Amino acid sequence: MDQIPVFLQALLDQTGAVHFTFGNLVMVIIGCTMIYLAIAKHYEPLLLIGIGFSCIVANVPGPPDDVPGGQAISALLYVVKEGGLFHYAYQGVALLIIPPLIFLGVGAMTDFGPMIANPKLVILGAGAHLGIFVALILAKLLGFSLAEAGAIGIIGGADGPMAIFVTVKLAPHLLGPVSVAAYSYMALMPMIQPPVMRLLTTKAERQISMEQSRKVSKLEKIAFPIVIAIIVNLFFPPVAPLITMLMLGNLFKETGVVDRLAKTAAGGLMNVIIMILTVAIGSTMAADKFLTLQTLEIVGLGLVAFLFGTGSGVVTAKIMNLFLKTKINPLIGSAGIASVPIAARVSHIVAYQENPKNLLIYHAMGPNLAGVFGTAISGGIMLALIGVG
Amino acid sequence: MNSLIPDTLQGALLLSLIDFFLSFVVISFIGLVLSWFPLLNRVGTWVSHKRPSAPASKKKAPVQAFVAEQEIPVEDVVAIAAAITAMVGDHHILHIEPHNAEWSTAGRVAHHHSHLPKH
Repeated sequence: MDQIPVFLQALLDQTGAVHFTFGNLVMVIIGCTMIYLAIAKHYEPLLLIGIGFSCIVANVPGPPDDVPGGQAISALLYVVKEGGLFHYAYQGVALLIIPPLIFLGVGAMTDFGPMIANPKLVILGAGAHLGIFVALILAKLLGFSLAEAGAIGIIGGADGPMAIFVTVKLAPHLLGPVSVAAYSYMALMPMIQPPVMRLLTTKAERQISMEQSRKVSKLEKIAFPIVIAIIVNLFFPPVAPLITMLMLGNLFKETGVVDRLAKTAAGGLMNVIIMILTVAIGSTMAADKFLTLQTLEIVGLGLVAFLFGTGSGVVTAKIMNLFLKTKINPLIGSAGIASVPIAARVSHIVAYQENPKNLLIYHAMGPNLAGVFGTAISGGIMLALIGVG
Repeated sequence: MNSLIPDTLQGALLLSLIDFFLSFVVISFIGLVLSWFPLLNRVGTWVSHKRPSAPASKKKAPVQAFVAEQEIPVEDVVAIAAAITAMVGDHHILHIEPHNAEWSTAGRVAHHHSHLPKH
């Protein structure tokens, strides 16, 4: 009978339970919260389900490798560690294969017509990126290195794949917190942006109606990805892989002769990539790496970046109105932050609440799409100047 | 890393200034290029005028040609046309095309939800 506690202890030692820490428990709760938000609140469910689940798995310790049979069990349970499936999923991110493929799918889904129809609005795609630099400077003040600060700043670009791309190049150890902050704030944009938009505009400005844009021909839509791919490859080699794939996907869509490829890029392939991406991000969220003061600072700086980006977009639109004969509704400025199409939808809804006859969605899509290029340009310049281009 | 910018607060300020300014310049350049895009339509029109016209017998009616180009099944077009006629009367339908832009769908959904009856 005296041997029973010893046997039980020996059995317990062969499980992962003894290695389960308070930090692991917190991360499991965070993972469950993500899944709850995805299901109950519909916050980015495509992303949060996978990230939340793999975050939980990454924080459930398996048996130690020195236990007999531990290695064999590891192959099943330790999916996150080297040799596991999630490990290889992460390699897709670390080797920068996944982000360009996401852009291929996004390109195949996107109609760039609103951006082509109203070229003057593309300037909002640069104006709404002040947040990147405010966050970068604040991160530097908090003691981050310049490369880390750049990776944190790019959260303000509100473009998930671009944030991952730049972070992997500048500070791969920050991939988990940066990507979680970027995707979380993108999901929360309908709550983050409207107060800033209302604060910086008058009721009269919010009610400005915009003229209908011109119709864009098929020829223009086919020329667009080719011209942009040439410009980006010429001037921004550091981010060329992403924009090139974005434009290739868009060319598939616009030519209309490779419908199968466009549908695959935007459908099946995109879904597979999302699954791989989410488990890759979630599996980086182990408690010992994620539950740090640094993570809290990154999450806080991400919010600052989004707030300033939204505000600077609106202010840029107001400045443009000083010079334009036909005024634009400054609410579309905040859409320049990227995060297609969430930010454009927020502009539309805020304007619609002021004036139900004012439908801004098409106009807001112009700066919104330009924001994707704005983030890419900012990221490209940053990579070149920091020396990792 | 062979950084062109020093890893200091001044470096961060300098990087931010250069990057923000250059972003404006580059995106303005893209805007400028896009403002020339309507010229492509003139080129397209000119090329189509230069091309010898197809024999009259092979020409499709405009609506037929459009439907074929968009790959909308003919039975769908007939059903849509019948539904429209039933709802709004005898109108001349000029244009039927599939919608697949997610942002426009989002706008429509937001618009339609505003009309839900409140209990």
